[in-house]
Amino acid sequence: MACITLRNVTKTYPDGFCALKNINLDIAAGEFIAILGPSGAGKSTLLRTINALDPASSGEISIDGEVLTPRNRRRVRARIGMVFQQFNLVDRLNVMTNVLIGRLAERGWLSSLFYLFPQSDFQIAEAALREVDLLDKAWSRADKLSGGQQQRVGIARALAQQPKLILADEPVASLDPKASEDVLALLRKICTEKGITVVVNLHQVEYARQYADRIIALNAGSVMFDGSPEHLSPSKLAVIYGITTPLESRHADKLALAHA
Amino acid sequence: MQINWRWPTPDGKPPVVTVLALALPLVLMFFTASVVGMSPDKLLSAMPRLLDFTQHLWVMPDWDYLPQLGKKMLETVEMTLLATALAIVLSLPLGILAARNASPHPWLYRFSRDLLSSIRALPELVWALVFVSALGLGPLPGIMALALVTVGFMGKFIAEAIEVVSAEAIEGLEATGCNKFQSILYAMLPQAVPDFIGSLLYILDHNLRAASILGLVGAGGIGYDMVMSMRLFNYERIGMIAISIYLLVTLLDRLSDVFRRKALGDLLNVH
Repeated sequence: MACITLRNVTKTYPDGFCALKNINLDIAAGEFIAILGPSGAGKSTLLRTINALDPASSGEISIDGEVLTPRNRRRVRARIGMVFQQFNLVDRLNVMTNVLIGRLAERGWLSSLFYLFPQSDFQIAEAALREVDLLDKAWSRADKLSGGQQQRVGIARALAQQPKLILADEPVASLDPKASEDVLALLRKICTEKGITVVVNLHQVEYARQYADRIIALNAGSVMFDGSPEHLSPSKLAVIYGITTPLESRHADKLALAHA
Repeated sequence: MQINWRWPTPDGKPPVVTVLALALPLVLMFFTASVVGMSPDKLLSAMPRLLDFTQHLWVMPDWDYLPQLGKKMLETVEMTLLATALAIVLSLPLGILAARNASPHPWLYRFSRDLLSSIRALPELVWALVFVSALGLGPLPGIMALALVTVGFMGKFIAEAIEVVSAEAIEGLEATGCNKFQSILYAMLPQAVPDFIGSLLYILDHNLRAASILGLVGAGGIGYDMVMSMRLFNYERIGMIAISIYLLVTLLDRLSDVFRRKALGDLLNVH
Protein backbone atom coordinates (compact mmCIF):
# COMPACT_ATOMS: atom_id res chain seq x y z
CA MET A 1 0.00 0.00 0.00
CA ALA A 2 1.38 3.34 -0.99
CA CYS A 3 1.85 5.81 1.83
CA ILE A 4 2.32 8.85 -0.40
CA THR A 5 1.15 9.22 -3.99
CA LEU A 6 1.92 12.19 -6.20
CA ARG A 7 0.07 12.48 -9.52
CA ASN A 8 1.13 15.11 -12.08
CA VAL A 9 2.27 17.46 -9.31
CA THR A 10 3.46 20.84 -10.54
CA LYS A 11 4.57 23.78 -8.44
CA THR A 12 4.95 27.26 -9.89
CA TYR A 13 5.89 30.09 -7.54
CA PRO A 14 4.19 33.50 -7.85
CA ASP A 15 7.34 34.90 -9.53
CA GLY A 16 6.84 32.38 -12.35
CA PHE A 17 9.62 29.99 -11.31
CA CYS A 18 8.55 26.41 -11.97
CA ALA A 19 10.08 24.33 -9.16
CA LEU A 20 8.35 21.01 -9.88
CA LYS A 21 7.32 19.74 -13.32
CA ASN A 22 4.74 17.01 -13.54
CA ILE A 23 6.03 14.77 -10.76
CA ASN A 24 4.62 11.24 -10.36
CA LEU A 25 5.77 9.22 -7.37
CA ASP A 26 4.62 6.35 -5.20
CA ILE A 27 6.23 5.98 -1.80
CA ALA A 28 5.47 2.82 0.14
CA ALA A 29 4.88 2.74 3.88
CA GLY A 30 8.06 2.09 5.86
CA GLU A 31 10.49 3.10 3.10
CA PHE A 32 13.58 5.22 3.80
CA ILE A 33 13.96 7.54 0.83
CA ALA A 34 16.77 9.98 0.10
CA ILE A 35 16.19 12.77 -2.36
CA LEU A 36 19.28 14.06 -4.17
CA GLY A 37 19.87 16.83 -6.62
CA PRO A 38 21.74 20.11 -7.06
CA SER A 39 20.64 23.27 -5.23
CA GLY A 40 17.47 24.69 -6.76
CA ALA A 41 16.45 21.33 -8.22
CA GLY A 42 13.19 21.35 -6.25
CA LYS A 43 14.09 19.00 -3.37
CA SER A 44 12.75 21.29 -0.63
CA THR A 45 9.70 22.21 -2.69
CA LEU A 46 8.90 18.53 -3.19
CA LEU A 47 8.92 17.89 0.58
CA ARG A 48 6.99 21.07 1.31
CA THR A 49 4.22 20.21 -1.15
CA ILE A 50 3.72 16.86 0.61
CA ASN A 51 2.58 18.58 3.83
CA ALA A 52 1.29 21.65 1.97
CA LEU A 53 3.65 24.16 3.58
CA ASP A 54 4.03 25.13 -0.09
CA PRO A 55 0.80 23.81 -1.65
CA ALA A 56 1.12 22.27 -5.13
CA SER A 57 -0.13 24.44 -8.02
CA SER A 58 -1.73 21.51 -9.78
CA GLY A 59 -1.88 17.73 -9.55
CA GLU A 60 -2.95 15.50 -6.72
CA ILE A 61 -1.16 14.41 -3.54
CA SER A 62 -2.61 11.77 -1.30
CA ILE A 63 -1.31 10.59 2.05
CA ASP A 64 -2.59 7.19 3.20
CA GLY A 65 -5.28 7.33 0.55
CA GLU A 66 -6.53 10.75 1.67
CA VAL A 67 -6.27 13.48 -0.97
CA LEU A 68 -4.73 16.75 0.30
CA THR A 69 -7.11 19.70 0.15
CA PRO A 70 -6.96 23.12 1.82
CA ARG A 71 -9.69 21.88 4.19
CA ASN A 72 -7.96 18.80 5.60
CA ARG A 73 -4.47 20.35 5.50
CA ARG A 74 -4.03 20.81 9.26
CA ARG A 75 -5.37 17.36 10.10
CA VAL A 76 -3.06 15.69 7.59
CA ARG A 77 -0.05 17.69 8.85
CA ALA A 78 -0.71 16.43 12.37
CA ARG A 79 0.20 12.92 11.14
CA ILE A 80 3.35 14.07 9.33
CA GLY A 81 6.48 14.99 11.27
CA MET A 82 8.86 17.50 9.75
CA VAL A 83 12.54 18.06 10.49
CA PHE A 84 14.23 21.22 9.19
CA GLN A 85 17.73 22.32 8.25
CA GLN A 86 17.58 25.16 10.80
CA PHE A 87 15.79 22.90 13.36
CA ASN A 88 12.93 25.45 13.63
CA LEU A 89 12.62 25.11 17.39
CA VAL A 90 11.27 27.83 19.64
CA ASP A 91 14.62 28.93 21.10
CA ARG A 92 13.31 30.52 24.28
CA LEU A 93 11.19 27.56 25.34
CA ASN A 94 12.69 24.54 27.07
CA VAL A 95 13.26 21.24 25.30
CA MET A 96 10.23 19.54 26.89
CA THR A 97 7.84 22.27 25.71
CA ASN A 98 9.35 22.11 22.24
CA VAL A 99 8.64 18.38 22.12
CA LEU A 100 5.14 18.87 23.58
CA ILE A 101 4.43 21.25 20.67
CA GLY A 102 4.20 18.02 18.66
CA ARG A 103 1.05 17.25 20.69
CA LEU A 104 -0.58 20.68 20.24
CA ALA A 105 -2.61 19.76 17.17
CA GLU A 106 -4.59 17.35 19.36
CA ARG A 107 -5.24 19.92 22.08
CA GLY A 108 -8.02 22.47 22.38
CA TRP A 109 -7.59 26.22 22.64
CA LEU A 110 -8.30 26.52 26.38
CA SER A 111 -5.58 24.15 27.55
CA SER A 112 -3.23 25.70 24.95
CA LEU A 113 -3.92 29.14 26.39
CA PHE A 114 -2.76 28.03 29.85
CA TYR A 115 0.18 25.98 28.51
CA LEU A 116 -1.36 22.88 30.09
CA PHE A 117 -0.81 19.36 28.76
CA PRO A 118 -2.28 16.08 30.03
CA GLN A 119 0.03 13.64 31.78
CA SER A 120 -0.30 11.26 28.81
CA ASP A 121 1.32 13.87 26.54
CA PHE A 122 4.25 14.12 28.94
CA GLN A 123 4.69 10.34 28.69
CA ILE A 124 4.71 10.56 24.88
CA ALA A 125 7.19 13.46 24.99
CA GLU A 126 9.44 11.65 27.48
CA ALA A 127 9.43 8.51 25.31
CA ALA A 128 10.35 10.66 22.29
CA LEU A 129 13.21 12.31 24.21
CA ARG A 130 14.45 8.92 25.39
CA GLU A 131 14.39 7.76 21.77
CA VAL A 132 16.74 10.61 20.75
CA ASP A 133 18.75 10.19 23.99
CA LEU A 134 18.14 13.70 25.33
CA LEU A 135 15.94 13.04 28.35
CA ASP A 136 18.58 14.62 30.62
CA LYS A 137 18.26 17.91 28.70
CA ALA A 138 14.46 18.05 28.99
CA TRP A 139 14.43 21.24 31.08
CA SER A 140 17.22 23.14 29.35
CA ARG A 141 16.40 26.01 27.08
CA ALA A 142 16.45 24.88 23.44
CA ASP A 143 19.04 27.47 22.37
CA LYS A 144 21.52 26.23 24.98
CA LEU A 145 21.95 22.95 23.08
CA SER A 146 24.47 22.17 20.35
CA GLY A 147 23.33 21.95 16.72
CA GLY A 148 23.24 18.16 16.72
CA GLN A 149 21.26 18.11 19.97
CA GLN A 150 18.82 20.71 18.65
CA GLN A 151 18.23 18.60 15.56
CA ARG A 152 17.51 15.60 17.79
CA VAL A 153 14.96 17.73 19.67
CA GLY A 154 13.45 18.48 16.26
CA ILE A 155 13.20 14.73 15.64
CA ALA A 156 11.69 14.19 19.11
CA ARG A 157 9.05 16.84 18.32
CA ALA A 158 8.24 14.96 15.11
CA LEU A 159 8.05 11.67 17.06
CA ALA A 160 5.70 13.22 19.62
CA GLN A 161 3.22 13.70 16.79
CA GLN A 162 3.16 9.87 16.55
CA PRO A 163 3.46 10.25 12.79
CA LYS A 164 3.23 7.74 9.96
CA LEU A 165 5.67 9.78 7.91
CA ILE A 166 8.63 12.02 8.70
CA LEU A 167 9.86 14.56 6.15
CA ALA A 168 13.41 15.81 6.74
CA ASP A 169 14.48 18.86 4.72
CA GLU A 170 18.31 18.79 4.65
CA PRO A 171 18.47 17.75 8.31
CA VAL A 172 22.27 17.52 8.36
CA ALA A 173 23.25 20.51 6.17
CA SER A 174 24.07 22.63 9.27
CA LEU A 175 25.81 19.86 11.24
CA ASP A 176 29.35 18.51 11.52
CA PRO A 177 30.06 14.99 10.14
CA LYS A 178 29.74 13.23 13.51
CA ALA A 179 26.40 14.89 14.37
CA SER A 180 25.24 14.27 10.79
CA GLU A 181 25.82 10.55 11.11
CA ASP A 182 24.10 10.48 14.52
CA VAL A 183 21.02 12.20 13.11
CA LEU A 184 20.81 10.02 10.00
CA ALA A 185 21.39 6.82 11.99
CA LEU A 186 18.60 7.94 14.33
CA LEU A 187 16.20 8.53 11.43
CA ARG A 188 17.18 5.15 9.96
CA LYS A 189 16.53 3.45 13.31
CA ILE A 190 13.13 5.15 13.67
CA CYS A 191 12.23 3.98 10.17
CA THR A 192 13.31 0.40 10.75
CA GLU A 193 12.00 -0.08 14.29
CA LYS A 194 8.75 1.87 14.16
CA GLY A 195 7.95 1.39 10.50
CA ILE A 196 7.66 5.16 10.00
CA THR A 197 8.23 6.26 6.41
CA VAL A 198 11.16 8.69 6.20
CA VAL A 199 11.87 11.03 3.27
CA VAL A 200 15.18 12.90 3.56
CA ASN A 201 16.64 15.62 1.36
CA LEU A 202 20.42 15.32 1.19
CA HIS A 203 23.38 16.99 -0.43
CA GLN A 204 25.82 14.17 0.34
CA VAL A 205 25.56 11.27 -2.11
CA GLU A 206 27.57 9.04 0.27
CA TYR A 207 25.01 9.42 3.07
CA ALA A 208 22.21 8.63 0.64
CA ARG A 209 23.95 5.42 -0.45
CA GLN A 210 24.67 4.46 3.15
CA TYR A 211 21.23 4.96 4.72
CA ALA A 212 18.52 4.94 2.05
CA ASP A 213 16.46 2.05 0.66
CA ARG A 214 15.66 4.08 -2.39
CA ILE A 215 17.10 7.21 -3.98
CA ILE A 216 15.11 9.74 -5.96
CA ALA A 217 17.12 12.36 -7.82
CA LEU A 218 15.76 15.63 -9.10
CA ASN A 219 17.14 18.16 -11.52
CA ALA A 220 15.34 21.31 -12.67
CA GLY A 221 12.08 20.08 -11.19
CA SER A 222 11.99 16.67 -12.87
CA VAL A 223 12.80 13.17 -11.59
CA MET A 224 16.11 12.10 -13.16
CA PHE A 225 16.61 8.87 -11.23
CA ASP A 226 14.45 6.66 -9.06
CA GLY A 227 15.82 3.37 -7.82
CA SER A 228 17.96 1.54 -5.30
CA PRO A 229 21.36 2.97 -4.28
CA GLU A 230 23.25 0.19 -6.17
CA HIS A 231 21.85 1.39 -9.47
CA LEU A 232 23.12 4.93 -9.00
CA SER A 233 26.22 4.78 -11.21
CA PRO A 234 28.81 7.59 -11.52
CA SER A 235 27.59 8.40 -15.03
CA LYS A 236 24.01 8.78 -13.75
CA LEU A 237 25.28 11.01 -10.94
CA ALA A 238 27.07 13.17 -13.49
CA VAL A 239 23.78 13.64 -15.35
CA ILE A 240 21.88 14.44 -12.13
CA TYR A 241 24.34 17.11 -11.06
CA GLY A 242 24.69 18.46 -14.60
CA ILE A 243 28.39 17.65 -14.94
CA THR A 244 28.56 17.19 -18.71
CA THR A 245 32.24 16.51 -19.21
CA PRO A 246 33.84 13.45 -17.60
CA LEU A 247 36.41 14.14 -14.91
CA GLU A 248 39.45 13.16 -17.05
CA SER A 249 38.77 15.71 -19.74
CA ARG A 250 38.30 18.44 -17.10
CA HIS A 251 41.77 17.69 -15.83
CA ALA A 252 43.03 17.92 -19.40
CA ASP A 253 41.48 21.39 -19.61
CA LYS A 254 43.33 22.51 -16.51
CA LEU A 255 46.61 21.09 -17.83
CA ALA A 256 46.13 22.91 -21.10
CA LEU A 257 45.54 26.14 -19.18
CA ALA A 258 48.66 25.56 -17.12
CA HIS A 259 50.75 25.11 -20.24
CA ALA A 260 49.32 28.15 -21.95
CA MET B 1 55.74 58.93 2.15
CA GLN B 2 52.60 60.04 0.33
CA ILE B 3 49.29 58.54 1.49
CA ASN B 4 46.37 58.62 -0.93
CA TRP B 5 43.22 58.72 1.16
CA ARG B 6 39.98 57.41 -0.30
CA TRP B 7 36.53 56.33 0.84
CA PRO B 8 35.51 52.66 0.54
CA THR B 9 33.11 53.27 -2.35
CA PRO B 10 33.46 52.23 -6.01
CA ASP B 11 34.39 55.77 -7.15
CA GLY B 12 36.29 56.74 -4.01
CA LYS B 13 33.95 59.67 -3.26
CA PRO B 14 31.92 59.91 -0.04
CA PRO B 15 28.46 58.28 -0.40
CA VAL B 16 25.75 60.79 -1.36
CA VAL B 17 23.23 59.54 1.22
CA THR B 18 25.67 59.99 4.11
CA VAL B 19 26.63 63.49 2.98
CA LEU B 20 22.96 64.46 2.66
CA ALA B 21 22.08 62.96 6.05
CA LEU B 22 24.79 65.07 7.69
CA ALA B 23 24.13 68.24 5.71
CA LEU B 24 20.32 68.25 5.86
CA PRO B 25 19.97 68.95 9.61
CA LEU B 26 22.40 71.88 9.29
CA VAL B 27 20.45 73.33 6.36
CA LEU B 28 17.15 72.86 8.24
CA MET B 29 18.59 74.55 11.31
CA PHE B 30 19.77 77.51 9.23
CA PHE B 31 16.27 78.11 7.84
CA THR B 32 14.23 77.39 10.98
CA ALA B 33 16.32 79.17 13.61
CA SER B 34 14.83 82.59 12.77
CA VAL B 35 11.29 81.21 12.73
CA VAL B 36 11.46 79.94 16.31
CA GLY B 37 13.40 83.00 17.41
CA MET B 38 16.62 81.17 18.20
CA SER B 39 19.55 83.55 18.03
CA PRO B 40 22.91 83.48 19.82
CA ASP B 41 22.51 86.91 21.48
CA LYS B 42 19.06 86.01 22.77
CA LEU B 43 20.40 82.82 24.30
CA LEU B 44 23.34 84.69 25.78
CA SER B 45 21.18 87.45 27.23
CA ALA B 46 19.01 84.80 28.91
CA MET B 47 22.03 83.44 30.77
CA PRO B 48 21.99 85.90 33.71
CA ARG B 49 18.31 85.20 34.42
CA LEU B 50 18.90 81.45 34.21
CA LEU B 51 21.78 81.79 36.67
CA ASP B 52 19.57 83.92 38.90
CA PHE B 53 16.97 81.11 39.01
CA THR B 54 19.59 78.45 39.82
CA GLN B 55 20.98 80.63 42.61
CA HIS B 56 17.56 80.78 44.22
CA LEU B 57 17.49 76.98 44.38
CA TRP B 58 20.34 76.99 46.89
CA VAL B 59 18.17 77.51 49.92
CA MET B 60 17.45 75.45 53.01
CA PRO B 61 14.84 72.80 52.12
CA ASP B 62 11.39 73.15 53.62
CA TRP B 63 11.60 70.11 55.92
CA ASP B 64 7.99 70.48 57.07
CA TYR B 65 6.98 69.71 53.50
CA LEU B 66 8.71 66.29 53.59
CA PRO B 67 5.68 64.13 54.69
CA GLN B 68 3.48 65.74 52.01
CA LEU B 69 6.25 65.23 49.42
CA GLY B 70 6.53 61.54 50.34
CA LYS B 71 2.79 61.07 50.04
CA LYS B 72 2.66 62.75 46.64
CA MET B 73 5.67 60.83 45.31
CA LEU B 74 4.10 57.57 46.44
CA GLU B 75 0.91 58.57 44.64
CA THR B 76 2.94 59.26 41.49
CA VAL B 77 4.57 55.82 41.65
CA GLU B 78 1.22 54.16 42.28
CA MET B 79 -0.29 55.95 39.29
CA THR B 80 2.62 54.81 37.10
CA LEU B 81 2.41 51.17 38.14
CA LEU B 82 -1.37 50.93 38.00
CA ALA B 83 -1.65 52.63 34.62
CA THR B 84 1.13 50.47 33.16
CA ALA B 85 -0.39 47.24 34.53
CA LEU B 86 -3.80 48.18 33.16
CA ALA B 87 -2.25 49.01 29.82
CA ILE B 88 -0.43 45.65 29.56
CA VAL B 89 -3.70 43.75 29.98
CA LEU B 90 -5.47 45.84 27.34
CA SER B 91 -2.63 46.15 24.84
CA LEU B 92 -1.65 42.48 24.61
CA PRO B 93 -4.72 41.39 22.60
CA LEU B 94 -4.70 44.65 20.63
CA GLY B 95 -1.00 44.26 19.86
CA ILE B 96 -1.52 40.70 18.60
CA LEU B 97 -4.34 41.87 16.31
CA ALA B 98 -2.11 44.70 15.06
CA ALA B 99 0.81 42.39 14.14
CA ARG B 100 0.80 41.58 10.44
CA ASN B 101 1.82 37.94 10.91
CA ALA B 102 -0.48 37.21 13.87
CA SER B 103 -3.64 39.08 12.90
CA PRO B 104 -6.48 36.76 11.85
CA HIS B 105 -7.64 39.08 9.06
CA PRO B 106 -6.05 41.97 7.09
CA TRP B 107 -9.01 44.22 7.87
CA LEU B 108 -8.69 43.54 11.60
CA TYR B 109 -4.97 44.28 11.29
CA ARG B 110 -5.65 47.64 9.60
CA PHE B 111 -8.38 48.52 12.07
CA SER B 112 -6.28 47.80 15.18
CA ARG B 113 -3.30 49.67 13.70
CA ASP B 114 -5.48 52.74 13.09
CA LEU B 115 -7.12 52.43 16.50
CA LEU B 116 -3.70 52.36 18.21
CA SER B 117 -2.40 55.37 16.30
CA SER B 118 -5.58 57.36 16.97
CA ILE B 119 -5.11 56.70 20.72
CA ARG B 120 -1.53 57.93 20.43
CA ALA B 121 -2.55 61.05 18.52
CA LEU B 122 -3.27 63.06 21.69
CA PRO B 123 -0.73 63.35 24.55
CA GLU B 124 -1.46 62.23 28.14
CA LEU B 125 -2.04 65.79 29.30
CA VAL B 126 -4.92 66.33 26.88
CA TRP B 127 -6.54 63.00 27.76
CA ALA B 128 -6.10 63.91 31.44
CA LEU B 129 -8.02 67.15 30.83
CA VAL B 130 -10.82 65.15 29.23
CA PHE B 131 -10.95 62.65 32.11
CA VAL B 132 -10.68 65.35 34.79
CA SER B 133 -13.73 67.09 33.35
CA ALA B 134 -15.57 63.76 33.31
CA LEU B 135 -14.43 62.23 36.62
CA GLY B 136 -13.35 65.25 38.67
CA LEU B 137 -9.98 66.00 40.25
CA GLY B 138 -7.69 63.31 41.68
CA PRO B 139 -5.40 60.48 40.59
CA LEU B 140 -8.12 58.39 38.91
CA PRO B 141 -8.44 60.52 35.75
CA GLY B 142 -4.62 60.64 35.65
CA ILE B 143 -4.41 56.83 35.72
CA MET B 144 -7.06 56.55 33.00
CA ALA B 145 -5.28 59.03 30.74
CA LEU B 146 -1.91 57.42 31.30
CA ALA B 147 -3.25 53.89 30.74
CA LEU B 148 -4.98 54.93 27.52
CA VAL B 149 -1.92 56.51 25.93
CA THR B 150 0.23 53.61 27.13
CA VAL B 151 -2.13 51.16 25.38
CA GLY B 152 -1.50 53.13 22.18
CA PHE B 153 2.26 52.83 22.52
CA MET B 154 2.52 49.39 24.06
CA GLY B 155 0.13 47.92 21.47
CA LYS B 156 2.39 49.23 18.73
CA PHE B 157 5.54 47.94 20.45
CA ILE B 158 4.00 44.49 21.01
CA ALA B 159 2.87 44.32 17.38
CA GLU B 160 6.35 45.24 16.18
CA ALA B 161 8.02 42.75 18.53
CA ILE B 162 5.77 40.00 17.13
CA GLU B 163 6.39 41.01 13.52
CA VAL B 164 10.18 40.60 13.76
CA VAL B 165 9.98 37.11 15.30
CA SER B 166 11.89 34.53 13.21
CA ALA B 167 9.66 32.75 10.72
CA GLU B 168 11.45 29.40 11.22
CA ALA B 169 9.94 28.61 14.62
CA ILE B 170 6.48 29.56 13.35
CA GLU B 171 6.92 27.25 10.38
CA GLY B 172 8.07 24.49 12.72
CA LEU B 173 4.77 24.79 14.57
CA GLU B 174 2.65 25.04 11.44
CA ALA B 175 4.20 21.83 10.14
CA THR B 176 2.82 19.95 13.17
CA GLY B 177 -0.74 20.93 12.25
CA CYS B 178 -1.14 23.65 14.89
CA ASN B 179 -3.70 26.38 14.39
CA LYS B 180 -2.91 30.09 14.29
CA PHE B 181 -3.91 30.67 17.89
CA GLN B 182 -1.46 28.01 19.05
CA SER B 183 1.36 29.32 16.89
CA ILE B 184 0.84 32.82 18.35
CA LEU B 185 1.02 31.42 21.89
CA TYR B 186 3.88 28.98 21.44
CA ALA B 187 6.09 30.49 18.73
CA MET B 188 5.42 34.23 18.44
CA LEU B 189 4.90 35.38 22.03
CA PRO B 190 7.86 33.51 23.61
CA GLN B 191 10.18 34.84 20.91
CA ALA B 192 8.83 38.38 21.32
CA VAL B 193 9.53 38.40 25.08
CA PRO B 194 12.99 40.09 24.97
CA ASP B 195 11.75 42.96 22.77
CA PHE B 196 8.64 43.20 24.87
CA ILE B 197 10.55 43.51 28.15
CA GLY B 198 12.78 46.17 26.60
CA SER B 199 9.83 48.34 25.61
CA LEU B 200 8.01 47.69 28.89
CA LEU B 201 10.95 49.06 30.88
CA TYR B 202 11.17 52.08 28.59
CA ILE B 203 7.44 52.69 28.99
CA LEU B 204 7.68 52.47 32.81
CA ASP B 205 10.40 55.10 32.72
CA HIS B 206 8.34 57.32 30.41
CA ASN B 207 5.15 56.86 32.46
CA LEU B 208 6.88 57.87 35.69
CA ARG B 209 7.85 61.18 34.08
CA ALA B 210 4.38 61.58 32.58
CA ALA B 211 2.70 60.83 35.93
CA SER B 212 4.82 63.48 37.62
CA ILE B 213 3.48 66.16 35.26
CA LEU B 214 -0.22 65.18 35.14
CA GLY B 215 -0.89 67.09 38.37
CA LEU B 216 -0.61 70.20 36.19
CA VAL B 217 -4.25 69.69 35.19
CA GLY B 218 -5.32 68.32 38.57
CA ALA B 219 -5.00 64.66 37.69
CA GLY B 220 -3.02 63.58 40.76
CA GLY B 221 0.65 62.99 41.52
CA ILE B 222 3.50 65.33 42.37
CA GLY B 223 2.81 67.63 39.38
CA TYR B 224 0.34 69.90 41.13
CA ASP B 225 2.77 70.70 43.98
CA MET B 226 5.56 71.26 41.49
CA VAL B 227 3.60 73.72 39.40
CA MET B 228 2.23 75.57 42.43
CA SER B 229 5.70 75.95 43.98
CA MET B 230 6.99 77.30 40.65
CA ARG B 231 4.18 79.84 40.43
CA LEU B 232 4.61 80.95 44.06
CA PHE B 233 8.43 81.05 43.72
CA ASN B 234 8.57 78.55 46.56
CA TYR B 235 12.22 77.62 45.94
CA GLU B 236 12.43 75.62 49.19
CA ARG B 237 10.07 73.06 47.67
CA ILE B 238 11.07 73.11 43.98
CA GLY B 239 14.54 71.80 44.75
CA MET B 240 13.18 69.00 46.92
CA ILE B 241 10.65 67.92 44.31
CA ALA B 242 13.21 67.97 41.50
CA ILE B 243 15.70 65.94 43.52
CA SER B 244 13.12 63.33 44.55
CA ILE B 245 11.94 62.88 40.96
CA TYR B 246 15.54 62.52 39.88
CA LEU B 247 16.21 59.93 42.58
CA LEU B 248 13.10 57.94 41.68
CA VAL B 249 13.88 57.90 37.95
CA THR B 250 17.46 56.84 38.64
CA LEU B 251 16.31 54.09 40.98
CA LEU B 252 13.90 52.79 38.34
CA ASP B 253 16.68 52.87 35.77
CA ARG B 254 18.97 50.78 38.00
CA LEU B 255 16.18 48.31 38.78
CA SER B 256 15.28 47.91 35.14
CA ASP B 257 18.93 47.27 34.28
CA VAL B 258 19.06 44.43 36.80
CA PHE B 259 15.72 43.07 35.64
CA ARG B 260 16.65 43.24 31.98
CA ARG B 261 19.86 41.29 32.58
CA LYS B 262 17.99 38.61 34.51
CA ALA B 263 15.14 38.36 32.04
CA LEU B 264 17.23 38.24 28.88
CA GLY B 265 19.99 36.02 30.25
CA ASP B 266 19.45 32.41 31.11
CA LEU B 267 18.40 33.18 34.70
CA LEU B 268 14.79 33.64 33.76
CA ASN B 269 13.65 30.56 31.91
CA VAL B 270 10.41 31.20 30.08
CA HIS B 271 8.31 28.10 30.79
